[in-house]
Amino acid sequence: MDIFSNLIMGFHVAFSPMNLWMCFVGVLIGTLIGVLPGIGPTTGVAILIPITFGMDATTAIITMCGVYYGAMYGGSTTSILLNVPGESSSVMTTLDGYQMAKKGRPGPALGMAALSSFIAGTFAVLMLTFLSPPLANYAVSFGPPEYFALTFMGLTLVTSLGGDSPLKGLISGVFGLLVACIGIDAQSAVARFTFGSMSLLDGVGFIGVAVGLFAAAEVLVNIEEPMLQIFTEAKLTIRSLLPNLQDWKDSFGALWRGSIIGFFVGVLPGAGATIASFMAYAVEKKVSKHPELFGTGVIEGVAAPEGANNAAAGGALVPLLTLGIPGSGTTAVMLGALMIHGLRPGPMLFSSRPDFVWGLIASMYIGNVMLIILNMPMIGLWVRLLKVPYKVLMPLIITISAVGVFATDNNIFDMWVMAVFGVIGYLMKKLDYPAAPAVLALVLGPMVEMSLRQSLTISHGNLSIFFTRPISGTLTVIAILSLFAPFLRILWKKYRAGKTAAV
Amino acid sequence: MKNLSRLFVLFLVVLFIAIGAGNALGAGKYPEKPITMVIHASAGGGSDIFGRTMSSAIDKDKLLPQPIVVENKPGGSGGIAFAYVAGKKKDPYYLVTAVTSFLTTPLMGLTPVGLKDFTPIANFAFDEYMLIVNPKSKYKSVKDVVADAKANPKKITVGGTQLGSSDSICAYLIEKAAGVQFNYIVFSGGGEVNAALLGGHIDMAVANPGEALELYKAGKVRVLGVYAEKRLAGAPDVPTLKEQGINAIYVQNRGLCAPADIPADARKVLEEAFFKYTKTETFKKYCKDNMLSEAWMDGAAFGKFLEEWNDKYAVILKDMGLIKKK
Repeated sequence: MDIFSNLIMGFHVAFSPMNLWMCFVGVLIGTLIGVLPGIGPTTGVAILIPITFGMDATTAIITMCGVYYGAMYGGSTTSILLNVPGESSSVMTTLDGYQMAKKGRPGPALGMAALSSFIAGTFAVLMLTFLSPPLANYAVSFGPPEYFALTFMGLTLVTSLGGDSPLKGLISGVFGLLVACIGIDAQSAVARFTFGSMSLLDGVGFIGVAVGLFAAAEVLVNIEEPMLQIFTEAKLTIRSLLPNLQDWKDSFGALWRGSIIGFFVGVLPGAGATIASFMAYAVEKKVSKHPELFGTGVIEGVAAPEGANNAAAGGALVPLLTLGIPGSGTTAVMLGALMIHGLRPGPMLFSSRPDFVWGLIASMYIGNVMLIILNMPMIGLWVRLLKVPYKVLMPLIITISAVGVFATDNNIFDMWVMAVFGVIGYLMKKLDYPAAPAVLALVLGPMVEMSLRQSLTISHGNLSIFFTRPISGTLTVIAILSLFAPFLRILWKKYRAGKTAAV
Repeated sequence: MKNLSRLFVLFLVVLFIAIGAGNALGAGKYPEKPITMVIHASAGGGSDIFGRTMSSAIDKDKLLPQPIVVENKPGGSGGIAFAYVAGKKKDPYYLVTAVTSFLTTPLMGLTPVGLKDFTPIANFAFDEYMLIVNPKSKYKSVKDVVADAKANPKKITVGGTQLGSSDSICAYLIEKAAGVQFNYIVFSGGGEVNAALLGGHIDMAVANPGEALELYKAGKVRVLGVYAEKRLAGAPDVPTLKEQGINAIYVQNRGLCAPADIPADARKVLEEAFFKYTKTETFKKYCKDNMLSEAWMDGAAFGKFLEEWNDKYAVILKDMGLIKKK
């Protein structure tokens, strides 16, 4: 019962007025950062660092973590309402969330996003409470071959994200991989596809591409046929704002699968919330009884990624607190901030600074409750946003997106990226190519390449490294099966047809 | 009416001259406006911590009459920040953080600007480096590693960041000194290198104390040696590589440079303020917390240091095949 006494001590720390207040400030800022497209939790936490100088380390981390998981809540808002992903981890939420909004059900989509965030967030904190030290070993159990197998499996699922045509999904995915190749290659220090431009050395920024392909393209398409409002049904009752019983029934499986996938992917230092949300969505589509409806506005398509990205944010804290190894870009920034405070997370943190660790964990229970209280009443407000005529909304979307994209790295170049990919996204929409595979290939591409080359360098070019290790072997086999599943199905059907014809 | 507009034009002319003269006359009192410190890496990293700690201390202790504003311009292995500041020629209101990449990025041809485009202002500290293994590793000392590497060339895996980084140079220095070859595995960040080492996926890793000392204290990694002349204060039990017969010494400097041709008095003002900063409690604590060695150099000494290392890096990077023939 050591954990409980520790947790009680943690709540003691977290309930001090200062910590409670800063936890609230953190989740509030996080929500706002989440709502703003482009600017994400990593930038948000970085901006906050100077403000935390005057605080003690525990208060500082409570605030920063509040921003982190708060952003995961807020990220879904613009994804659902405007097809503008607020963060990279909420790209998946746009697929079904925006369709739900278009169908006149923005309320239940937003409500389910908030509630699944809450449930998954709380699940992650529970896991963090009871399983952190044992999970440290799991976090480092993934080496290059395992990461390759995981990300390769992710790539094979890319085609399933497209609309009706797997071929178009594949083409979009390959386009994303190609864009991912731009920049300096870390393994050979050679610049690829940069055409002498220094701005391209670091590759094309993910945020600029995602906001361009989704937000800017959406606006461009809508200029042609200016709809007056996205959401015209005027009836806004509490009932229409919340998910109904059927929604809950549909989402139940997605919720717990999303939470579990999100958490365990989040714990891995080489993966993160974006991959988690994408995996959760793809898995949901695979296990669903009606996969063809995904992308047309099914509520599971919102619950799964939103649950996963919140659980992943919690999971990313496991390697940080148990080993001092950041599990995501945002936790890396937090690690830096803690060092400014003279606190260096490492394997001894749990024993040397229990007040810090347990204070943080307790604050996350409180923060999640604050977020749900903060977000639920906002839904009514957000839905009203859709009553703003689209011609007023359009310039606002573009301006806010551009500012957010710029603010990520203070780089004008990223705005050009957004503009160029806005045009590309427009063409893709016109020609009916899905954008999601391109965006996900852009995230996965560098990881697949890096881990493939790492593995092959370790094995001196021997491919058996992917099959002889238990975790990577299993994942690779699953990936290959999922890749060939459609062919096998066709073969099976032909076989069956042949048999019946013969009879 | 005509007169009035003439008068207005005259007024404008006088105003412009006055403003211009004001600038010219006031030029003696540097700094008159906030100074921008451009960090060549993203927020939260080593250079960012360095810059922000310093900026807050200078403001708090009033070491300069104007604040130093921190601005992150990450990207292109630092090239974007270097080119940006180099473009502010003669303007003493810009500074840029200078670590290993300040020399290696231009050498590798990744940015058109180079050492000649900057005025070295000061160096503050050194990052030390060390070679670490998993505690279950069969290697107990660097001698074991060298013996094994001689028997099995290119078999021992060493993890580190991007080719051309300090990590990769450190791995190379042992190869060169001992006449062996490792299998260098590139990871995208120090955290991932450590995770791979803890999980037993790689044999060794290059890390700086900030990344690995906590793991060492907890018995999660074994340190085989440090790339320093003397043992580190934070880990006095760990021998240097030199003690073990491997002549591999390496430090990463942490300094600041300004654009080329800034006024001499401005350089002096900055040097004096920064020297005072290195005497503050904040700086001492910063070095202790981040496990850096204090290493003050004024502009002239830092300039010499940079020249010297620029030549060394040129040889090392060429040997590593990272300098392309033009």
